[in-house]
Amino acid sequence: MTTSSSLRHLFLALAISATSIAIAGDDPARERHEMMEGVRDAAKPVGAMLKGEKEFDADTLQRSLATFAKASEKLGDLVPEGSEGGEAAPAIWEDPDGFAAAIQEWSDAISAAVDANPQSLDAAKPVVGPVFGACKNCHDSYRIEED
Amino acid sequence: MKKTSLLVGVVAALVLTATWLTSPNSLVQSDLPVHEPDAVAGERIFWAAGCASCHATPVDGRRAKGEDKLRLGGGLQLDTPFGLFRVPNISPHPSDGIGGWTMLEFVNAMQKGVSPSGRHYYPSFPYTSYARMRTRDVMDLKAFVDGLPAIVGQPEDHDLKFPYSIRRGLGLWKRRYLAVDPVIETTSADSQLLAGRYLVEGAGHCGECHTPRDIFGGLDTNRWLAGAPNLDGEGGVPDITPAGKNVSAWSAEDIAYYLESGFTPDFDTVGGTMVAVQENMAKLTREDRAAIAAYLKSIPASKLRTGAADSNDDS
Repeated sequence: MTTSSSLRHLFLALAISATSIAIAGDDPARERHEMMEGVRDAAKPVGAMLKGEKEFDADTLQRSLATFAKASEKLGDLVPEGSEGGEAAPAIWEDPDGFAAAIQEWSDAISAAVDANPQSLDAAKPVVGPVFGACKNCHDSYRIEED
Repeated sequence: MKKTSLLVGVVAALVLTATWLTSPNSLVQSDLPVHEPDAVAGERIFWAAGCASCHATPVDGRRAKGEDKLRLGGGLQLDTPFGLFRVPNISPHPSDGIGGWTMLEFVNAMQKGVSPSGRHYYPSFPYTSYARMRTRDVMDLKAFVDGLPAIVGQPEDHDLKFPYSIRRGLGLWKRRYLAVDPVIETTSADSQLLAGRYLVEGAGHCGECHTPRDIFGGLDTNRWLAGAPNLDGEGGVPDITPAGKNVSAWSAEDIAYYLESGFTPDFDTVGGTMVAVQENMAKLTREDRAAIAAYLKSIPASKLRTGAADSNDDS
């Protein structure tokens, strides 16, 4: 009797840890963090072009815009209830409409820049500016600072 | 009998001394320079001084953006270790704001920390920095603020802890901490550096957040801009001297670009309370931002000795 009860506990414990492992593997908080790091890496060469540190290259710009576009489509799905934490501000869950609007602003700016397909720095500045501006606007309300 | 009169005399002397030590020190009309206030020049000062970051009325509980930054009805709350500060209405409304103030009253508030009725202001209003501004710039600022929308309503008064709640005590505090001299002395004639120092130490009041405070709430200028705890929230305000980990690796161009665009050299975005500051700096001229960067890169090691060690420990 004692043995079978211990076995049952052991089995339960195993079942619980298996479930936790399954949840840990499906980790939206981590996924969104890694995705945003990818966005930042894609922003770097574009930023260097805007800043005048690198020569303008239309293909690099379009590649980065494609990375942004993919991320903007996915971001809304990576903030399910229960995935709070990290640099994601509570405002994402308190004001989901505002967050969705911020993503939409970003997505619209990306589409406009893709469509414009600028071939020079002067042509790129006015369409890429709003894409970067959207990063800042969204972070201002929906990201918390981690040192 | 003799003893009593001696006691009365001593008490009277103490009261008189205390009154003198804590009494507000104001400018008089003849101290103002002869200057025709220029509202256009005043707009640049308005953004440099960051007035809107505290005084613009929050919209739906969030900080004001765009045109709403010009609605200076106050109402923002600063929850600090000294107590709760409620930011007042400085819109040109004649009774709820500062529309009824004379030029002299405005200058005394900005540079002496004294209200029109002769009360001390708390240094949450950064007059300790504004004291270093040229009075003509303060006069231009008033001309600009006079043209902004008049907002109705006055936030409640501050709710401070003892002994900070004794306003009169600020007279003593000012004797110790209110100075017009530059923090970083230099014999350099580099006009860019001097322009940067003027913006950072004066109107820009960068030291108010980036410099740690002592137990009396005064800035510890030996650790000038060397980073500090965030008084209104969690975390820390970074060291922005050449010894700090944030700015040491940035070129002067990187600093200027950050202030203009809000992007770090890694293309991360500006965050926290610095967002509002950066948006103000973006409204200055390219030369202003370059001057600020040049100054930050130039802060001498002597002002960093203690700060550098501390900020390395806690960052």
